[in-house]
Amino acid sequence: MKKTLSILLALALMLGLATAAIAEDDWITLRVECFDREIVGLDVTDCWQLHYAQEHFGDPNHIKLEFVSFARWTEPELLDNALSADTAPDLCMTYDGNLVQQCIDQEGIWQLDELLEQYGPNLKAFLGEELLPYGQSDHDGDGTPEQWYIPARRISRANVGNFIREDWLTALGMEKPTTIDEFTAYLRAAKEAQLGGENTVPFSFGIYAPDPLFNVRRFTDAWVDFSQVTEEDWFANARTPEMLPGAKEGFRWLNTLYHEGLIPETFALTDNDQANDTALIMGYNGFFSQQPDQPWRTDKNYQVEMANNVPGAHWVTVNPFQNDSLGGKHLHDMYAPAGLSIIIPKTADEATAVAAMKYLDWMAIPENMFALQNGTEGINYEGLTEDGIPYGVKSADDVPNENKMHAGDICFISNGLCYGDDEKNAAALALPFKGYEADVIASYADSLSDAWTQISFPVAVQAETDYGATVKSKQGEFLAAVVSCDPEEFDEVFDAAIQETLDAGAAEMIEGFRAAYQEGNYRGTFPGNM
Amino acid sequence: MTTHLPSINRSHRGWFRRDWRLYAMLVLPVAFYLIFCYKPMIGVIIAFQNYNRFKGMWGSEWVEFENFRFIMGMSDFKFALRNTLWLNFLGLVAGFPVPIVLAIMLNEMKSVGLKKLSQTLLYLPHFLSWIIIGGMVLQIFSPKTGLINATLLKWGLIDKSIPFLTKGPQWQATYTVVGVWQGMGWGTILYLSAITGINPELFEAAKIDGANKMQQIWHVTLPGIRPTIVVLLILSVGQMMNISFDRPQILGNPQVLKYCDVLSTFVYRTGIQNHRFDRATAIGLFQSVVGLILITGANFVSKRLGEDGIW
Repeated sequence: MKKTLSILLALALMLGLATAAIAEDDWITLRVECFDREIVGLDVTDCWQLHYAQEHFGDPNHIKLEFVSFARWTEPELLDNALSADTAPDLCMTYDGNLVQQCIDQEGIWQLDELLEQYGPNLKAFLGEELLPYGQSDHDGDGTPEQWYIPARRISRANVGNFIREDWLTALGMEKPTTIDEFTAYLRAAKEAQLGGENTVPFSFGIYAPDPLFNVRRFTDAWVDFSQVTEEDWFANARTPEMLPGAKEGFRWLNTLYHEGLIPETFALTDNDQANDTALIMGYNGFFSQQPDQPWRTDKNYQVEMANNVPGAHWVTVNPFQNDSLGGKHLHDMYAPAGLSIIIPKTADEATAVAAMKYLDWMAIPENMFALQNGTEGINYEGLTEDGIPYGVKSADDVPNENKMHAGDICFISNGLCYGDDEKNAAALALPFKGYEADVIASYADSLSDAWTQISFPVAVQAETDYGATVKSKQGEFLAAVVSCDPEEFDEVFDAAIQETLDAGAAEMIEGFRAAYQEGNYRGTFPGNM
Repeated sequence: MTTHLPSINRSHRGWFRRDWRLYAMLVLPVAFYLIFCYKPMIGVIIAFQNYNRFKGMWGSEWVEFENFRFIMGMSDFKFALRNTLWLNFLGLVAGFPVPIVLAIMLNEMKSVGLKKLSQTLLYLPHFLSWIIIGGMVLQIFSPKTGLINATLLKWGLIDKSIPFLTKGPQWQATYTVVGVWQGMGWGTILYLSAITGINPELFEAAKIDGANKMQQIWHVTLPGIRPTIVVLLILSVGQMMNISFDRPQILGNPQVLKYCDVLSTFVYRTGIQNHRFDRATAIGLFQSVVGLILITGANFVSKRLGEDGIW
């Protein structure tokens, strides 16, 4: 490949020298995928960032950039269709690891080692030795892994955000709970006192259908008995936290809450997000758990909107889920350092693949990244702090259409805003949320305390490809059943539901993950080692 | 010498020249079927392949019935199959007679204004997206907070919510009722036009013979639309294995998964979400083959009973 490349380059050079007149013809088009989050007034295929990149990267390199938009919430299906139809963009990204793995197995994407070596020095520096291996696997079986995709760097790895109503604590004369017992007492007291009116449901709870236990294990892991869990068991049950010894008691706790009316009776109904959002904003709930910056996010500002309805209402971080078998550690799962996966399909010819890598490399240069992520001073943000972090960041509604942007999606080598070092990045997390900076910082601090890295496998585990989606749907059914069943029948229902999940393919998955672990193909943290 | 007589030119070119406008009108529908219904059928071959999206259907490896074996071996396949047949059966039993009754009632309406108004109101749900209907169903049938449960609880008629959406059999009943409500108005259209096709002299004769309204309906209207009923029934039986995706997906929830998971949602999960088009195709082919057997069977039975059938 190197040879072909150099010949190509030499040819291009010769042609360029010989016939300056045909210089117009050496332009190539680079089609780049970008997510569309349906932000009103923002046309991602004709946005400010595209024009910026065209001017600063495209024009000097004779590359015509085109953005191809994919709806964010169905991107894996859309990308798969495009790949199958040979119409995929030249530079693609996805959060679907299964799809990427299939692309590697089916040999439909460029191997990136040489391209990265030759055209990606800034990109290599940005990702570093820790990140790049996430995109490597040994496809040809020669013992040395090859680079198949570029993993994006996750700036903030925090995933868990637990929030409690400070005004309710004050009304009840309670301290912020630090144990499950104190927390349960708070929920009961809040219900008793009807602090949210007659619609009071202290614990906002719903089933996240795409991955039902993803947001539930943060509670039930507190009951896991780590004296009975080996590192191997932990990794083998990567996708089945309900099967870990002790977790059952966590689900029993949820069942108790349900029957005491502390969890919404409608928790299992799909499309219930709207109702849950409304309940949060109307101040009916005393606790909810989502992402660490959730209460202040501009799209769903639970804090500001709730305080408009209920004066003085205030969400603050809470950390009650202690695990006694780990000496009272409050476990939180956190994301792996690698975010989405970036691939170059083979439908892109060699020159286009080179252009794609050059574009990624250009993106990794700090000043370019800063522009793509923050926009223009005075339009997208008011000014810069001493550390060079923007303050007074405007929400999309307050920015003219031609300057609207989604900060994260266009500069996709970085999942999250990046300002150079960890300290600045952490400080920057709180800056967009004026008036709540201390709350945000406290929330991230809780989220990253006793945090373990989520599990991933650098090899394709066939059973997960085959049964992953089925097992997740079973886990939804499991969760609905064990939380709502008659407490008398809990043990029976729990055991039967576990057996069904195993029969639906979880058994094969556990076996597959165990084999991967034994071969050393695993990433993540075992809390027993923390 | 016969050339003086006006004769119909039966040669190929003759009738084509005469009727070419009709054939021209036929070109578009035929092209539609060829391009969008017949050409894609070639794609069923990937049901027998380990489909490689980059090599396409001509370059992928053949695996015979491996995809079928895998799917039939999955534990939730049997639930999906059972629910598909059962929900369609419920829909047929509960939903098939309703448009017939409605059409007859509409036909008997004296006031044209009232008839048009009722028809429009009855058609309306057909044009609502299932997303909207799903929202309405939640508002009406939710435990505790839904319109029905909240009202009954308030009046003290029940002390526990009726699990319209949260217990399997009750969910299936809700699913069926909502489906009947959504489709019944639209279903009357064919019957109404069939009723208009009945010779009015038959009604007059019946009246002269002293038949009352019910007798007219029973002895004139119903026999008059019988061929339409039979054709629609055969077509419905042929659709027993097919089920829409949006209705069960939107109305269903994890609590009743064993009762709401059907072949279309199963395909979406195992085929599309897992990026296995070959498996999705295999299930689709299986459905089509069973559907073909059912519709042929129904047609055969109908002909044996002396009805016209659909071919």
